[in-house]
Amino acid sequence: MATTTATITLNSADLLSDNLSLSATTTLYKDNTTATGLDEFRMERLEIPIDDYGGGTAKQYDIIPNSAAALAGGSNYVYIANKNTNDTHYIIISIKDDVIGRLYAGDWAFFPWSCHLNATAGSAVEVQAKEGTAIIEYALFHDGETLTESADA
Amino acid sequence: MATTTATITLASSDMMDNVISISNTATLTKAGNDTGLTETTGLSRKKTNTGNNEVLLNTDAGAGSDVTAQKSAKVYIKNINDRGDGSKYVTILLEDTEIGRLYGGDWMFIPWDATSSGKDIEYTCSDTTETTLEYVCFYE
Repeated sequence: MATTTATITLNSADLLSDNLSLSATTTLYKDNTTATGLDEFRMERLEIPIDDYGGGTAKQYDIIPNSAAALAGGSNYVYIANKNTNDTHYIIISIKDDVIGRLYAGDWAFFPWSCHLNATAGSAVEVQAKEGTAIIEYALFHDGETLTESADA
Repeated sequence: MATTTATITLASSDMMDNVISISNTATLTKAGNDTGLTETTGLSRKKTNTGNNEVLLNTDAGAGSDVTAQKSAKVYIKNINDRGDGSKYVTILLEDTEIGRLYGGDWMFIPWDATSSGKDIEYTCSDTTETTLEYVCFYE
């Protein structure tokens, strides 16, 4: 069993009249367990084109397809970071075609993900680059992946 | 201008042969510039035991009604319950689209399209066990 922890710290000395200091840590466990940690993981660094690889139209791309990871009953966590440095550049993160929000340059997100093979319920994690080609890094901690059989097997 | 930072650390010393250590700090800025976000709901707490779908952050009320264009907003949500037997969780949704499950102790941090063209952030408990969520929204 693996032990993986996710920690967030939110800090501000001047947003409110008092200091904001919040910290939380969780251990990434498998579904329906109290002590069995997730033990599968993948991470990538990707370039998300602004112009459809020269085709002229910005497109939304699946970075985590709904067929690639555990089913809805599993436990999955996604980390995405926009590594661009231009303040005006952002990416739109969506689940299926429902927009979660915008990650501006330097921003990151971390969230649980329910992989539904039924596309009406929810599905792929999708990204679209805006204002400029985006460099993103993402990681998926998951509870089992459905591999694609080789076409020439 | 306020400076608010969000730091994440993802760590595992035994999942792979080598240590996993991912760390990143974001300064929460307004859309398209380096000016810090200046508004927040503050840290809030909500309890539920209905097992029904409920709205946590509404695009047409509260913080959502202050946002009139697609700008920058970030949301932190934590399931304050303990993990229990591991079978209880809160499903976080964009209205009818499921994002994922927060088990006891889990947290998430996401951007949010808080305009009326975006979607409410909603939650559903897996059963009628009383469940407490803490959340903050930072926005412009």
